[in-house]
Amino acid sequence: MVDYFALALSHGLLVLAVWHLAWRRDLDEDPAQPEPETVEPAEPRPSQPGLRIRA
Amino acid sequence: MLDLAITGFTLAFLALGLRQPFLWVLAYLYIDILTPQKISWSLLASLPISLIAFILAFGGWLVLDDKRGTRFTLRQALIVVLLAYCGITTTIAEFPVEAAEKWSWVWKALLFAIFLPLTLRTRLRIEAVVTVMVLTVGAILITGGIKTAAGGGGYGQLQTFVPDNAGIYEGSTLSTIAIAMVPLSWWVARFTTIFPRGKLVTLFAAALTFAALLIPVGTQTRTGLLCIALLVVLSLRSVKRRFLYLGLAGLVAVAAIPFLPASYTKRMSTIENHQSDQSASTRVAVWMWTLDYVKDHPFGGGFDAYRSNRLLVPTVKAEGTDNNVTLTTEYHVEEGRAYHSAYFEMLGEQGYPGFALWAWIQLLGVWQMERLRRRWKDRKAAHQAWVAPLANALQLSQLVYFLGALFIGIAFQPVMFMIIGLQCGLWSYCRRIDAPAPRPVLPGASQLRTSAT
Repeated sequence: MVDYFALALSHGLLVLAVWHLAWRRDLDEDPAQPEPETVEPAEPRPSQPGLRIRA
Repeated sequence: MLDLAITGFTLAFLALGLRQPFLWVLAYLYIDILTPQKISWSLLASLPISLIAFILAFGGWLVLDDKRGTRFTLRQALIVVLLAYCGITTTIAEFPVEAAEKWSWVWKALLFAIFLPLTLRTRLRIEAVVTVMVLTVGAILITGGIKTAAGGGGYGQLQTFVPDNAGIYEGSTLSTIAIAMVPLSWWVARFTTIFPRGKLVTLFAAALTFAALLIPVGTQTRTGLLCIALLVVLSLRSVKRRFLYLGLAGLVAVAAIPFLPASYTKRMSTIENHQSDQSASTRVAVWMWTLDYVKDHPFGGGFDAYRSNRLLVPTVKAEGTDNNVTLTTEYHVEEGRAYHSAYFEMLGEQGYPGFALWAWIQLLGVWQMERLRRRWKDRKAAHQAWVAPLANALQLSQLVYFLGALFIGIAFQPVMFMIIGLQCGLWSYCRRIDAPAPRPVLPGASQLRTSAT
């Protein structure tokens, strides 16, 4: 009886998994991922924030 | 009814491969782990179902699968060399008939470990392999766990689906594999895209973990208990709330002791006092014999070379009470005793070169998983966050195996070679997707070059 339960539970989940996998497109190819965000070059900062260069 | 259901499931699994050939790879995993042909007694038992699944898996990959980006890794090459080496030692084995029998399943395990990574081209395929392994081993764990909880079991007595005490169905081996599967089942629970993630999946992983922890109790194997302890310690590295985790682990351990059968606690107490335990003394004697044997046979004696051993095994017995204890050493002769350790199995059967190759394949896995773990641990995007935890889980499984392998002759255990195949596949996959994109040609670069000439 216990064997039947264990087989039914595990095989039930295997059926779900395998059936699901059979129709998944990404089994053969990973979905395209968004391009990594390009980091905008930051504004050049003055080396000492408190100081201003006079023209 | 059971026969019909198992046969129907296996054949339907293979039939579904016509829609998606990669499913044949999964079918082979299922058949090789569970051996449904041994559970069934009619059609399935009469078919070479494992061979059919392997031919379909390999043929499907060869003819129908896309092979772009497929890489052959160093570890796969090492397994090829080990396969060839074992083939040679089999031809010159000390016990040719027995060696040929072991070779008949070892070559399949090694060949599949070489082949599996070639098919693991996508994240979903890697996940599918882990899931099928967890569920298939899970079938054995569920039945073993329930029977143990209901008071069944005993050393060499816990029966699951197959009555023979061999392969994955052998008590110590099952205990080691059960504990090795725990990290993988939690990885599935956290990152599955096959099942809807949520409480049900977490509950299943928790129940499976509980069943896995019960297996060493049901089989009354000391190896399993040590594996649990090792996994608890190793998991400290990756859990977030370490003190809470340790407290809970301690609480569970203390709470579990009163419920353990007396025969189990009695057997576990011999871990410390191994001198009075005959089986432990025999192991030590076999190991000493192997060290001597390999000095005379540096290239090993081929599979099952242990059959030539003849050992004088000492057992120390204590008689008397507290302050008046008399220790007496008794000797008895043992013949043809198995290695009871994968390390000595490799050394005795395949000699120094075989042992070195095997150790290289294993240790390289630990190192590669560590590299992946460190490299990917800070990547939190949904399509990347699964890598580091999987590398961690595969590493933990392997380390648990290393400990179990100290006391069991499981150097060529097919499930462990599947884990090696998975590691190779993950390593190869990550190297491919992590490779720097080709540099874009700078606009105007050709003009610059032209103007310079």
